[in-house]
Amino acid sequence: MKIIGVTGGKGGTGKSTVATAVAVELAGRGKKVLLCDMDADCPNDHLLLGIERKQACEVYQRVAKWDLDRCDKCGKCAKVCRTNAIVCVAGSAPMFMARQCNGCGACAIECPVDAISWDKKVVGAIYTGCGFGVDLLSCELEINEPVSEIVVAKACEIIADDKKKYDYIIVDTAAGTHCDVIAALGVCDVALCVTEPTPLGAHDLELICKLLSRMDIDFEVVVNRYEKGRDEIVDKVISKYSKPVFAKVPYSKKIMMDYSNGVPVKHKSIEKIAAWIEGST
Amino acid sequence: MKQITILSGKGGVGKSSITASLAIALSKKRKIVCADCDVDASNLALVFGMGTDDFEMWKSISTNQKARVDLSRCTSCGKCALECYFDAIDWDGAKKIPVFKEFGCEGCTVCEMICPASAIEMYDVSNARIGYGKTKYGFMVVTGQLEMGESGSGKVVSRVKELSLDVSKHADIMLVDAAAGIGCPVIASVAGSDYVIGVCEPTPSGFSDLKRALSVVNHFNIPYGIVINKFDLNLEYTRKIEEFAKKKGIRVLSKLGYDKCFMDALVNLVPVIEFSPAYKEIFDKVVRALEDEGVFRDK
Repeated sequence: MKIIGVTGGKGGTGKSTVATAVAVELAGRGKKVLLCDMDADCPNDHLLLGIERKQACEVYQRVAKWDLDRCDKCGKCAKVCRTNAIVCVAGSAPMFMARQCNGCGACAIECPVDAISWDKKVVGAIYTGCGFGVDLLSCELEINEPVSEIVVAKACEIIADDKKKYDYIIVDTAAGTHCDVIAALGVCDVALCVTEPTPLGAHDLELICKLLSRMDIDFEVVVNRYEKGRDEIVDKVISKYSKPVFAKVPYSKKIMMDYSNGVPVKHKSIEKIAAWIEGST
Repeated sequence: MKQITILSGKGGVGKSSITASLAIALSKKRKIVCADCDVDASNLALVFGMGTDDFEMWKSISTNQKARVDLSRCTSCGKCALECYFDAIDWDGAKKIPVFKEFGCEGCTVCEMICPASAIEMYDVSNARIGYGKTKYGFMVVTGQLEMGESGSGKVVSRVKELSLDVSKHADIMLVDAAAGIGCPVIASVAGSDYVIGVCEPTPSGFSDLKRALSVVNHFNIPYGIVINKFDLNLEYTRKIEEFAKKKGIRVLSKLGYDKCFMDALVNLVPVIEFSPAYKEIFDKVVRALEDEGVFRDK
């Protein structure tokens, strides 16, 4: 095992808390660790660890561009565009909304006079930094760009190249089960699902368990904000996968205060996860 | 009908709990409908204590198409795999055939257009389910859930909003619970809103994510206010958020103290306003602040 995904379905269950804490714990054990924040919408790992990031590269997506001298204003490009990025009014040049373009290329293929070629737009950036002995790679989506997945895919390319430099790579995903989460989990060998013992946490945990099973990725479940007497809520979901809860991070105001002050969580549950990662390599 | 959207950027800061309680407070004087637009992980109905049986309708919808290949017509030219910008088609070099992956197809039709043998066709995918039901508090909740691994959440959000209009034609207010993040589904939730409520918690990440989410709102030129949840967990950050709000002329609609009864209310499947009487006055105050903001006034 080499690349460990930290996911969970529901937002705010403690994915980043667990991902940063485990990364710091492993680094403390002398391992080379890369923490990869793949929540491009709202990257937070650098904030949790107080890391000043530097931009490593911008992430681009191709977008269509028109040579209006060639364009004969036929309007065919607008008809094939599935994302409504092109508006054509009969007899005038196409109006193009680059934000909506997903770069598929249908317009360029359809154009009978070869008037469409490629330009690019910035959809996000990748940042790097380090702290607590952990290297950080952090995705960030450009405001108002819809497709987080492109930025995540770029980060996946980078870690594929850098893999050999590290003992472990911890991949912190976004909330949900959408394309950006699927892209991030796609590079993982194994995953940790972080949840909370509420009906909402359990509901979303079930969704992410289904996704991981379909992607054929083995996983363990971590309950954050654990309290005695609330085992059943989560147990009911994961009994279907014949697994017990692997680790429990207790419900504690101290942990929450530490979190809000940017201190990585130290707890025996985190040590247990780190030991598991080391042991099952 | 006025559309009020609740978002936060960061997940788990109390968006759905606050939406549910605000809905009950608003419904005392106005006709409302709730639209759960977190179609990745829809939870709002659960917060109201509704199970699957409490829904009057669930149906599959299709907002997307995907490509499939008829291998008996395929001439192994490989163009489809080469041209797919979304890397959704692998090329099986041994068998010399395209392999259409389970995830990734955006339905752009490029492969269908360029296939010289007309071996590729587009088909409708049932990529989501949408439905509605009445809460025990008298108003409707409309919700959507994207099918596992399917794309097109923005379009599903639009369909949930359309259905909300349909089932509650005479409602005064549509309360929209947006997803975490700032991507496609959130943009679709914010579009068309009359007012946005940004919920945040006083942590470095809560504040950073709120600012990112509000940048999206700014783009649409929609007025907004903020609710600081768990404000007493970190008074220094609460002060930072309040200073930010003051500088930008944003109204802080409410500051809610950290209270474990939010979690207890969730576990008991009751919105916090019904679980703990103290919250009646707190959410009535939020309603009055919204009235003060002119949110319900006709333009």
